[in-house]
Amino acid sequence: MDQNALAVELAGIWKRFPGVIANSDINLKVTAGTVHAIVGENGAGKSTLMKILYGMQKADEGTISINGNELVFSSPADAIEAGIGMVHQHFMLADNFTVLENIVLGSEPKSGVKLDFAKARKQISDIAAENGLAVNPDILVSELGVGDRQRIEILKVLYRGARILILDEPTAVLVPHEVDELFNTLRDLKKEGLTVIFISHKLDEVLSIADEITVIRQGTTVGSVNPHTQQVSARDLAEMMVGNELPTPQSVGDTIREEVVLKVDNLSVFAKGGKAIVDDISFEIRAGEILGIAGVEGNGQAEILDALMGIEVSTGTVHFKAEDISNQSTRHRRELGIGFIPEDRQRQALLMEAPLWENRMLGHQTREPNSKGFLLNPRGAKADTKRIVAEYDVRTPSIDVLASALSGGNQQKLIVGREMSGDPKLLIAAHPTRGVDVGAQAAIWDHIRNARQAGLAVLLVSADLDELIGLSDTIKVLLRGKFVADADPATVTPQELGTAMTGAGKAA
Amino acid sequence: MTYLKSRRFIGAAFTAITMLSITRTITGNGDLTSTVTIAQALVFASPIALAGLAGIWAERAGVINIGLEGMMILGTFGAGWAGWQWGAWAGVLAGVVFGAIGGLLLAVAAVTFGVDQIIAGTAINLLALGLTKFLAILLFTDAPGGGQAQSPPIKGDIPTYTIDAIVTPLTALHDKAIFFISDLAGLVAGLFYHLSLLTIIAAILFVMTSYLLWKTAFGLRLRSAGENPWAADSLGVKVVQYKYTAVVFSGMLAGLGGAYLSIASTIYRNGNTAGRGFIGLATMIFGDWRPGGTAAGALMFGYIDTLRLIDTGNQNVKGLILLGAIILFAIGGVMLRKAKRNSAIGFLVLGSVMVGAYFSASSFPPEVAQVAPYITTLLVLATASQNLRPPAADGVPYRKGDHH
Ligand SMILES: Nc1ncnc2c1ncn2[C@@H]1O[C@H](COP(=O)(O)OP(=O)(O)O)[C@@H](O)[C@H]1O
Ligand SMILES: [Mg+2]
Repeated sequence: MDQNALAVELAGIWKRFPGVIANSDINLKVTAGTVHAIVGENGAGKSTLMKILYGMQKADEGTISINGNELVFSSPADAIEAGIGMVHQHFMLADNFTVLENIVLGSEPKSGVKLDFAKARKQISDIAAENGLAVNPDILVSELGVGDRQRIEILKVLYRGARILILDEPTAVLVPHEVDELFNTLRDLKKEGLTVIFISHKLDEVLSIADEITVIRQGTTVGSVNPHTQQVSARDLAEMMVGNELPTPQSVGDTIREEVVLKVDNLSVFAKGGKAIVDDISFEIRAGEILGIAGVEGNGQAEILDALMGIEVSTGTVHFKAEDISNQSTRHRRELGIGFIPEDRQRQALLMEAPLWENRMLGHQTREPNSKGFLLNPRGAKADTKRIVAEYDVRTPSIDVLASALSGGNQQKLIVGREMSGDPKLLIAAHPTRGVDVGAQAAIWDHIRNARQAGLAVLLVSADLDELIGLSDTIKVLLRGKFVADADPATVTPQELGTAMTGAGKAA
Repeated sequence: MTYLKSRRFIGAAFTAITMLSITRTITGNGDLTSTVTIAQALVFASPIALAGLAGIWAERAGVINIGLEGMMILGTFGAGWAGWQWGAWAGVLAGVVFGAIGGLLLAVAAVTFGVDQIIAGTAINLLALGLTKFLAILLFTDAPGGGQAQSPPIKGDIPTYTIDAIVTPLTALHDKAIFFISDLAGLVAGLFYHLSLLTIIAAILFVMTSYLLWKTAFGLRLRSAGENPWAADSLGVKVVQYKYTAVVFSGMLAGLGGAYLSIASTIYRNGNTAGRGFIGLATMIFGDWRPGGTAAGALMFGYIDTLRLIDTGNQNVKGLILLGAIILFAIGGVMLRKAKRNSAIGFLVLGSVMVGAYFSASSFPPEVAQVAPYITTLLVLATASQNLRPPAADGVPYRKGDHH
């Protein structure tokens, strides 16, 4: 293949939604056999552009050319036909199906009318072996973690013979060593001549993997850089994305006070079979302190948080200030002033089919400004939603749109804004800036820091180790439901922390 | 896999017969496993089973079909109306077509217009009920042998088969009242006694469904519409088309179930379905949205219905209570071994209460048996609901390109 042949060329793409222009005059050229990164803030229109390229949405204007041929896609089937595959930002997997079923769906090998399971199994293991993507084809997807799910998504795409691979924020949900594995896979794919379009916020990652970077700001392409030939830093890229100078996130002052806000003793959570997922842990958090929990996803973080909120059955005692809340309802805990940012925002934090202002009331429905005595107060809720939208820079046409119409990062900003409302005493937060772009990330950090200054205690779980180290006053490493090490955020590096999380070594 | 499945099936059948046999021996009531009882149970079970199967088709594609009852009603009417004029087979065909129209209505409302599926289904139930009552008055009042609430008799018959070479000796063996052997004999003989061709067709539809939905690419795609339609869409599966296919076929099956009812009672009668569409839905849940379990659930309902209706000395219901107690004890025992103490105690206490009832009263009115299937379904839901695996996107309205 010609070294400089274009695998994908998008010219003059426009896409309008009611109240929003998602793409305005986008031009993108992707050279065959390269990894091409697309970066941009939340809501910049990256996912929309990729959905257009994958035939899931139709552009209002503009043309798509694949390998030099202008094509029109009316459905993903057309894009698949043209050799394009997409791994979505939110995984598109059927939990109750096996890995095999998920992979072959839509392009099943058959013998007669029967689905040829034996052939499918062989094809999958061949592709898996070629690309170093080990999976068990007969296991249910519901039993798998994020890293495995992503491998399945990639296999799905390769199985369809895709030569052009779109990955929409693939690293947002991965821990560092999983990111390394993913990047190795991508490099292998590139070696085999595949073209990869890679979307991310994490600019260091982008710089380490991309051959070419295109920046999108507010729906339009503002420039392309080649990191091999041009000197660019993550900061340069960030400023291109945001369009102005960035605030510097940093500076840790000591704000820890005497008062213990949360005291947890001998907390355990058991799985169905009786196995301990959270294994007899104890800790405390003082006012003005941020306690970070580091760990590979699935080592009990979600269960600890759910247990503290009273959503998960647990043993042990939990004290909030002087009160024993071990047996209190979730609502009571929230009313005491505990804010909660859960791990899975779509499942636990939002009603996707409800407007933003109704989502503002969720979990706060018994308190000002959402209720007056026995009755709800929609007017108060709406006014306060407007405040959150402004303070947290939620990009939305109005507060009456459904939560599902917001991009992931903007949904997250709304949740953070909600949970920081009503002057919480304790914030229990999982990945508070997951899927949020650099500009907004810094803003959320500032909100948390300011609240800490005023005495907020925070329990922080994050897969973003820079965030964990940058925010926390104390870090504990969680492995198989137990704390296995402490780390000092002032001295520990992400690499050391990453090693400790896998149980391989001790953190500093 | 298949080996394991067939072993489990044989195990379950063996256990069921043993329990029946114990009950029959203690009560001395031969009716519990007689040829006639079993044959009749199949007749009662078939329409319920077809409704349950109809539920599987729709819900596997992600559309809750609470309109099953209405589609069945349409089926009973179609069968009565066409059967009266052109014969039984025409009646079956009309029942299926009328049911399909009900299914199409649900598909248009729920799939195309995204109407809440419970509301759409309920609307179909009300519509079917009103429409058939109205049409019955219009069409049957002046017809010879008809009336305001019922059609004239259906002409002709659907063939039924009796294989004497099997039935006669096995029935004789049943009458000898030997533990296990006689009961097995009665059960087998019942399968070959006045067996309707429609029952055979229903059984074939069950086998066909298992194969189509779980072994073919068509089935995988159809089920993907019920598990994660957005994922299916992103892989080029025509989700809407599959939902339509599934819901219309669901209507056809429910219509066939209705037709079965009319054929079995030789006329269309208002209210003949008597909630069997809903019972079908219950058997589907009982069966974990799978054909095997659904068939078992329908057979249970059919069996209990039969004993209730052929009960002469009010002894059958008494037998059923003992059978229920034995089953509860067995489940309680299994739970104990699995170290689920609380559930086990629940089952054992309930079992003891039933044993107490059995020994303290000399007979029970048939109405007691009427609630038994519902209680059983509730028990299943209460104890097994954590292990049930309904389709993940069941009842979720799907609009193309909506998901982020
Ligand atoms: N289906 C939709 N309906 C309405 N608005 C949408 C829809 N999809 C995306 N948007 C809007 O378009 C903009 C771009 O979104 P998106 O492409 O998801 O951004 P990104 O992936 O860059 O974060 C956002 O303002 C978002 O709210
Ligand atoms: Mg996006």
